Parts: sequence; structure tokens; C-alpha cells
Amino acid sequence: MFKLKPKVICVTGGKGGTGKTLVAVNLAVMFKNQGYKVLLIDGDVENPNTFLLLNAKLKNKTEVLYFLPKIIEEKCTMCGLCAENCETHALLHIKNSYPIPISTVCSGCKLCYKICPTNAIDPDSKVIGWTYTASAFNIDLMLGELKPTEARSAVIVKKLMGNLEYIIKTEPKKYDIIILDTAPGAHCDVEELISGADLVIPVTEPTKFGKLDLLRIIELINLLKKKYKVIVNRSSLLGYKEKFLRELEEKGIEILGDIPLDEEIVSSYCQGIPLMEETSKFDRNGVGYKSFEIIFDNLKKWGDFSK
Amino acid sequence: MVIIGIPTFGNKGLNEVINNRFGRCNSFTFVTIENNAIVEVKSVANNAQGAMGGAGIQAVQIIGNNGATEVIVGNLGPNAANSFNALNMTIFQSPGGNLTVKELIDLRLSDKLPVLKSANVAAHAGMGGGGGRGAGRGMGGGSQGRQF
Repeated sequence: MFKLKPKVICVTGGKGGTGKTLVAVNLAVMFKNQGYKVLLIDGDVENPNTFLLLNAKLKNKTEVLYFLPKIIEEKCTMCGLCAENCETHALLHIKNSYPIPISTVCSGCKLCYKICPTNAIDPDSKVIGWTYTASAFNIDLMLGELKPTEARSAVIVKKLMGNLEYIIKTEPKKYDIIILDTAPGAHCDVEELISGADLVIPVTEPTKFGKLDLLRIIELINLLKKKYKVIVNRSSLLGYKEKFLRELEEKGIEILGDIPLDEEIVSSYCQGIPLMEETSKFDRNGVGYKSFEIIFDNLKKWGDFSK
Repeated sequence: MVIIGIPTFGNKGLNEVINNRFGRCNSFTFVTIENNAIVEVKSVANNAQGAMGGAGIQAVQIIGNNGATEVIVGNLGPNAANSFNALNMTIFQSPGGNLTVKELIDLRLSDKLPVLKSANVAAHAGMGGGGGRGAGRGMGGGSQGRQF
């Protein structure tokens, strides 16, 4: 079957610490084990850490730039229109002096640049983060990092997705599978990633927090009209598994699988060797290992992953 | 001649007490000094008090637009501090406590106020607190507080 573009799977979940990265990394590894060419994108740009689970070394650090106004003093009439209209008050204007951009507050909206009557604002830029690439266990990795104090995480995520689009356009056969790992929450950076996916996998845990945040992320997934199935991580926690799964079922939420608590998973985490990596020495009969095999089987039945 | 701006609560001139919040204080009291003597005192309402964000920057604009080149503050956030520094204004740190404008000006004129180079509280430290006096933060800082 001729494929125009790789399959994109987005791993998300609403709540933090549910195991999104664990799932994303091990899905990537399982596809790779079967000969798929896999790209993993870490879209949690506020805390990019997927590379740790893969023991990968970051390369190709590239700056992500964003608009910042620069006042051209020869053209500026000191009218103050830019400062008066700046939503975030990022232009400091004292009468009879040139406005001063306060870069930490600037949202980069370009309003000042557009409304200046004498074109005295130059579109300069500031660094708001970086993108990196890495590679480990025959999986390519792309990740973004938001500069601390900056607010526009979605801009970094858009940059990553733009890079992905470029790869798909220029080297359509480079990857068979793209796995997107999102940040917690249901914010615009997460939305950006879900929007680009064919299949969405929210990862949750059997707690009230997990359920509440899962319902929120499902609301977002539904708004974006995407197909999803849920993974319940730490399913053996407190013995609530059956009740939790039943509650999800009652809401019509489909389950891709569950992952019980397993020391091997913790051990793989600490070593930076994915549990499902074919060369790893983890117990093939362990509860965690078995559960990932079931999840992968279910996933392959759900989506069309012909190479 | 130098004009000194001080964040305050109302318009009682030299008898006003310093408001340790800066961007979200109620008013600014401006004191004009000539030959080491007070020649003029005026109060200006802080219309940045209820701003959604960027109150510090707007407050600095009010200070600048009233001709002040020096300020005496309690707490100061990063945006306000950066803005003062961008304007090359001198920031003096109040030693803490509920000092009046008169007391602070006397300290300034006898060179007893330390200069503040950067923010002494985090962003948004002055938000909330119901608009009451102070926002629950310690005033002044450690050794500075025992200057006199």
C-alpha cells in the first residue's frame, strides 16, 4: 500500500506524571523493534525529558526566535501610540522620550509594529527557546525547550511541528511512524500536537485527579474531532482498577490497555533503557512487559500501520 | 532640583505613609527638593493599581511622566525594577516599617537610604491581599532594616 505520509500518534493525558513519556518512548521502541522507522517528538517544551528515558545526547541546538519591537529613533515622534495600545504594557513610554521595549513582558503580538504611524518600529527578535535533535536505540528524537520566564510554549511546539512538516515534505519516506509526546494540561501547546495527530492516546491513572484531567483532555480531543483510546497506567494502584475501568466504560470511553505497577518499569526509567527495547535485559514475562505487548497488539488492530 | 516619587495610600502629602506595594499602590506622592529643602508636594492616583498585568511598568510611567528621577520603595517587582533601570532612575530602598513621606525624605536628604539595583520581590507579589496595607511580605531587607 502506498503511503503519502507517516502515521502520527499523539500521547497526551491532561494530568502530569501519569506516564505519557513512558508510553510514548515504549511505543516508539516497539514500532522500531518491528522495523518501522520512528521519529519521537517531545512536545513538553517546559520540561523536555524524553531524551533521559532514551539516554540520548542532545544535538543541533537551534534558537527559536520571536518578534520584539525595536524603536528606530530617527523615525519615532514619541507620540506614545504604541505604549498606549500595548496589551501587556511592554513598551515603557515617558513623555518626550523614546518608548523602551521591556522584552520580558512582550508577547510578540506585533501590534506596535503595525500601528506605528511613522513606521518607527523595526521587527527585531528575541530568543524564546531552542529545538534539539537526538538519536538513540535507532529512534530519532526531536525536542523543544522553552526558555524559563517565557510564556509562549505553543510557539516552540509549532516550530517542532513545522520541522516535522518540512521532513515529511522533503523526505516523505524517512519515517513510518511519528510519536508526539505532549505536556500535561489542555493548553494551546497540547492542542497544537493533538491537531497534527491521526490517533490520540490519553494516558491516565486510576485516581480522582487522573479521571478529572482525563475528561478535560477528552473534551479537547473531541473538539479537535480526533480518534482516541485511553491507557490506564498504575492500574493496580489501590485496587481501584475494575471500578475505574467500569467508570470509563460507562462514559463510553474506549480503553487501549492498562499498565500495572511494576518495578521493572521503574528500573528501566532509572537506567534510561526503555522497557520494551529488544536488546534490554528486562523480564519478558514481567507484568509491565506483558501489558505493553497487549497495548501494542490493540494499537495495531486499531490503526492502519502498513509500511 | 530633584523630584522624588514614593508609593503611598492617599493624598495626605508629607504625612502619607509609604505603601510597600509599588505597582499596585493607591497613590504616588511626589516631593520636589531644591537646595536640600522640600519646595513642593503633590499626590497622583495610581491608575495602574488594578491593571491585569504590567502594573509595575505603568506605575514607572506615572513616576517618569511626573518628572521624578528618584524613587523610594518598599517592595519592587522585576518589571518595575527593569523599567526604572532602563530609565536610569535611582531607586532607594525604604528601611521598612510604616514611615511617613516626611521621614523618608529626611532619610534621603541625610544619605541614609541604600540604593536598590534590582527587584526585591517576585513578579505579582503585590497582587491579591484585598488591597489592604502591604501584601504580607516582609518589608525592607535584613540588615538594611536596621540602618538607623
